[in-house]
Amino acid sequence: MAADGNRLLRQAITYGGGWTVALGAAALLGAAAELLLPAALGLAVDAALGDADPWWPLAACGLVVLIVATDTLSSLASGAGTARTTARIRHRLLRHLLALDPRRAARHPVGDLVGRLVGQAADAGQAGSTVVLGLAAALPPLGSVVALLLLDWRLAVTFGAGLLLLAVGLRAFVGDASAAAAGYLGVQGRIAGRLAEALHGARTIAAAGTVRAEIDRVLAPLPLLRTHGDRTWTALARASGRTAAIAPLLQLTIVAVGGWSVADGRLTPGQLFAAVQYAALGAGLGSVVATLNRLVRTRAGAERVAAVLAEPVRSYGPASLPVGPGRLVLAGVTVYADDGRPVLDAIDLRVPPAATVAVVGPSGAGKSTLAAVAGRLRDPDAGEVLLDGVPLRRLSRSALRHAVGYGFERPVLIGDTIAEAVALAAVADTVALDTVSAALPPGSATDPVALDTVSDPVGLETVAATLTPVSANNADARPGPATPGFASVADARPDADAPDSAAGTAAPGLGADGRLDAGRLVGLARAAAIDEFVERLPDGYHSRLDATPMSGGEAQRLGLARALPASRLLILDDATSSLDTATEHRIAVAVAAHPDRRTRLVVTHRMATAAGADLVAWLDGGRLRGVGAHRELWRDPEYRAVFSASIPPQPEPTDKSAAKSTARFMDEPPDKSVDGSADGSADGSAGEPVDEPTGEPAAEPVEALR
Amino acid sequence: MSAVVRYTAAALRRRARPLGRLAGWSAAEALPALLAGYLTARAVDDGFLADRPGTGLAWLGVLAVAVGIGAVGTARAYACLGDVVEPFRDELARRVVSGALSRSTAAGARPESTAVARLTHQVEIVRDTFAGLVMVVRGFLFTAGAALLGLVSLTPVVAGVVAVPLVAGLVLFAVALPAMVARQRDYVRADERLGEAAGGALTGHRDVVACGAQEIVADRVGRQVDRQARAERALARMAALRSLSLAVGGWLPLAVLLLAAPWLVRRGLTAGAVLGALVYVATGLQPALHALVQGVAGGGLRFAVTLDRILTATTLPPRESTARAGAPGDGPAPAGTSGCGPPGSTTGAAGCPLAELRGVTFRYGPQARPVLDDFDLTLSEGAHLAVVGPSGAGKSTLTGLLAGLLPPQAGTVLLGGVPAGGADPAALARHRVLIPQEAYVFAGTLLENLRYLRPAAPPDEVDAAVHRLGLAPLVRRLGGLTATVHPPSLSAGERQLVAAVRAHLSSARLAILDEATCHLDPVAEATVEDAFASRPGALVVVAHRISSALRAREVLILDGGCPLRGPHDELLARSATYRELVGHWRGPQDRTHRTDATGGGPVPAEAANR
Repeated sequence: MAADGNRLLRQAITYGGGWTVALGAAALLGAAAELLLPAALGLAVDAALGDADPWWPLAACGLVVLIVATDTLSSLASGAGTARTTARIRHRLLRHLLALDPRRAARHPVGDLVGRLVGQAADAGQAGSTVVLGLAAALPPLGSVVALLLLDWRLAVTFGAGLLLLAVGLRAFVGDASAAAAGYLGVQGRIAGRLAEALHGARTIAAAGTVRAEIDRVLAPLPLLRTHGDRTWTALARASGRTAAIAPLLQLTIVAVGGWSVADGRLTPGQLFAAVQYAALGAGLGSVVATLNRLVRTRAGAERVAAVLAEPVRSYGPASLPVGPGRLVLAGVTVYADDGRPVLDAIDLRVPPAATVAVVGPSGAGKSTLAAVAGRLRDPDAGEVLLDGVPLRRLSRSALRHAVGYGFERPVLIGDTIAEAVALAAVADTVALDTVSAALPPGSATDPVALDTVSDPVGLETVAATLTPVSANNADARPGPATPGFASVADARPDADAPDSAAGTAAPGLGADGRLDAGRLVGLARAAAIDEFVERLPDGYHSRLDATPMSGGEAQRLGLARALPASRLLILDDATSSLDTATEHRIAVAVAAHPDRRTRLVVTHRMATAAGADLVAWLDGGRLRGVGAHRELWRDPEYRAVFSASIPPQPEPTDKSAAKSTARFMDEPPDKSVDGSADGSADGSAGEPVDEPTGEPAAEPVEALR
Repeated sequence: MSAVVRYTAAALRRRARPLGRLAGWSAAEALPALLAGYLTARAVDDGFLADRPGTGLAWLGVLAVAVGIGAVGTARAYACLGDVVEPFRDELARRVVSGALSRSTAAGARPESTAVARLTHQVEIVRDTFAGLVMVVRGFLFTAGAALLGLVSLTPVVAGVVAVPLVAGLVLFAVALPAMVARQRDYVRADERLGEAAGGALTGHRDVVACGAQEIVADRVGRQVDRQARAERALARMAALRSLSLAVGGWLPLAVLLLAAPWLVRRGLTAGAVLGALVYVATGLQPALHALVQGVAGGGLRFAVTLDRILTATTLPPRESTARAGAPGDGPAPAGTSGCGPPGSTTGAAGCPLAELRGVTFRYGPQARPVLDDFDLTLSEGAHLAVVGPSGAGKSTLTGLLAGLLPPQAGTVLLGGVPAGGADPAALARHRVLIPQEAYVFAGTLLENLRYLRPAAPPDEVDAAVHRLGLAPLVRRLGGLTATVHPPSLSAGERQLVAAVRAHLSSARLAILDEATCHLDPVAEATVEDAFASRPGALVVVAHRISSALRAREVLILDGGCPLRGPHDELLARSATYRELVGHWRGPQDRTHRTDATGGGPVPAEAANR
């Protein structure tokens, strides 16, 4: 680990490239000039007094110019070099993080990873400037001691003694200040704790109408904080009083000792001045300690970054999928939790092509793990998952993601706008398919068709374009003939000012592409029954995600739209848990209308969904308890118990987008005589054709998911 | 940014007296800077060069005394600093706390959890950088002033020549300062944006992998990385500008002095005076300017940017909170005049419902689907209503409306016959009590916590409630009612019990338990609910377990569609949702089930709305 950190540190120094070299040259030159300046100043004084070459003042001025120039260059080079190094480390870390297995990434809290990317990468990025500037900063103080020694050994001895006193004074300060600071932090923590308490109880306080009293209560320790704060200033005052005396007295002593030497004729007045300057320069030795501190921080940062970089990324194979119906086979799949407990235990499951398999079971049975393994969100620790005969881990990334789509109970929508978020998988697809589409003439009629066959979920040729085409020049589009259309939808943000937006991406035929892709986006949204919601937003598909308040169900549907381009296997991990049955039905119909008749694996708590599936996989404690039709399994009272609901403990969502549905409610169609007043929209949707084979029980609309 | 200047200036004006003291001691501190050159000149001319080292040492002795006085000045100046900085910090802390609490308790608001970081982190940055800024600025003013004065005493001409580049350097720096602040702000923002983008992408790591979008997301977040690098480079260019102003203001005087020295000596300036002038420039002016530039460009910029953020964050207009916007037609409640049991009256006259929703519609955004649509609900004396439904169906919204905390977009909320909109929060609190899921227990004595809603509650009532609701074991464990509670040391269930006893003690007749017992075991939950049910008035329980519904007189089902209300048995017959909830499914072979599914439409059980 330390070795990794050191290697990264060395790499970081080279990342700065020309800037590090420039910084080194400037800093060394500057340090030399700084070291020579006092001597030159002394000679200049003597020259003014007529005791030295009259050109010395000019030489001293030349040194001053050199110092100013190198100082400016150092600032520039150190800033620019650090910026470049940090950016390179961050890019590298970012790609590495995203290439990790989700399971591995999930072991670190997000905040920790962000901290490494933002904070520690910046620390590590200072490697070059810290090392170079640190070395250069040590030169003048060390050199000045030598210079004092050369001028007069008495001066050097005086200086050494004074430096010791200075160090003692500073040390005393550290002790004083840390005691005062501890008390201060304690009280500050108390106030923060009270504020956190009160914020936590905001609803109680609002209901009780006691805001004023609470503000006073939170701030009650403020006078105490002030007492401690005053103490820190007093400690600082004592210390600064000491140092304020010591440093000038040191110089004064140098003047006194040097003055005696002047009187004795050992020194010229100019040399006396040089000695005073060297003493001031030598006092900068304290800054070497600061440099060491910085170096320690840089190294710690590098180590933290390197620790993540050392984690292996998930690998993809070279294979692509043969033509096939989407036959999913799990053979002996076993997954262990981090503590070694089996989450899935030798699961054997064959899902017939184009079938819907419902995965049911109590909480903690391993349902989500099964879903993760089935689409290679996670690799099994033993066993194999095959799609149309090909082990998933042998598939290339593009082949895998083209074939498999995931819908989650709580999807995280990624992107600035709704369009970006929904198009995420599709854009990934088109990028991955660059090699395929590159063969097609851009803008030709075949291009959109190629896209369509890839991912048009519901045969949307007829869907009218509703989005205005966006010109490519404000879109930071990725190159590739297949992308401009999507880029125009997905990346057309008002602040898209990336410099890498290649003008070349304005491929011919963009207008046509843009309309088509916009249409496809609308199609995805429509299939996920979220189109109305989006179209009601002021900016439609260009609405910013962070400015769009959304319920859990709305987020679920956007997440579903994102997953729909998958061509062979759709894995829905409780992905419609927050939807009402009417909406779920609408989605089911749209999904079922997909020309490819994808295989569907649906994790659910809803009985109707299980009843409507071709096959139910009943998980219990990581093992397959039973596989079969819902009707057959229903005879087992323990299977029935899976659905007998009680309300499980559920934390109230504090975030509107995290509205989580842990209580599973499944409503059956209403008894009209009693509940006939049900919302008219529900009655409207009842008109949808329900493809129900006779004799099937539980004719929930969800069964159309098959 | 002008807000920062205004705020800082106002704060400094309020501290005129301590600032005056600070200036006084700063003057004392500047004494060595004033005398150093002059006394060095005398020591050299009259002493060391005149072969009278004793005289030289004597002059230096005077300087040593001055240094001692200066050191005292320094110490006292730092001691004064507390009187300037600490009240400034107090004001900011007060601003942050009251802003955060006011906004977090506004209608429909979510707690501002960032406020804690603002308090512990940003306020402290401002405190430290403010102190640094004050010290650096006054240090420069006094030291540079003293050095210039000393220079005048040695050679007035040189003083003039030196002052020009010094002022020029200062002007250059001042001109560049707004740009520096802007770059610093860009840099901080770029850092935050990067953090947000990376946080979003990494939170959705699973989703990114599921979409195969690693490259795309890496590119998107990578753009923020590049943007941040650009901001950092821009900041580095500012550092170069800073060096330039130092060169003009600090180094140019030295160069001028050096070049002029031969000419000055020819005009009769002594060796000591040349040395003294150099001492003024090299050890007085130049370090003072250096400290000023570095201090302002470092801590000063951080001060400006951080204070700006605090001020911006704490001046956000509070959502229409205090002026609680009621339904159209809701006038300010003439408490005690209209209605039969106005908020505040604890008696609740007979025949008047304790709470009533009339045609209430509530939605969270203008585009959002209503959580409740034209909804009516009446709660009379003796009502015991359980609210059930999936998460997101609007149960908490309903309690917020009932408690008068959320104003509906349409319809009227009447509490004791009086519109809740515009009612005084304290009056509302006397009429109804809401116990949310997140129980509020604060650091204080147990008794303070229990009497929070009714400070005058008599001890025997407190005791009775403690026993009735099962809090007695905790009271014993903590060592009595006067024991201090350390909230984190209580379990979530214990905190809920404390909140329950507190609510039970309140004088309000309408009690609303919004999953208030979710951390209690079923027995404790039953104890609490029974205690509230036998309390005079009405009770609304948002059910966490089905047992709560079984205990209630009536059940209200919210599932996004049409809410249903009725006794348990009736709902069992009428609502499939309810049947499933209660676990009374009769199985997939159920006849009615099939007939309905083919014929009728599914019931809207939209659980999607919050």
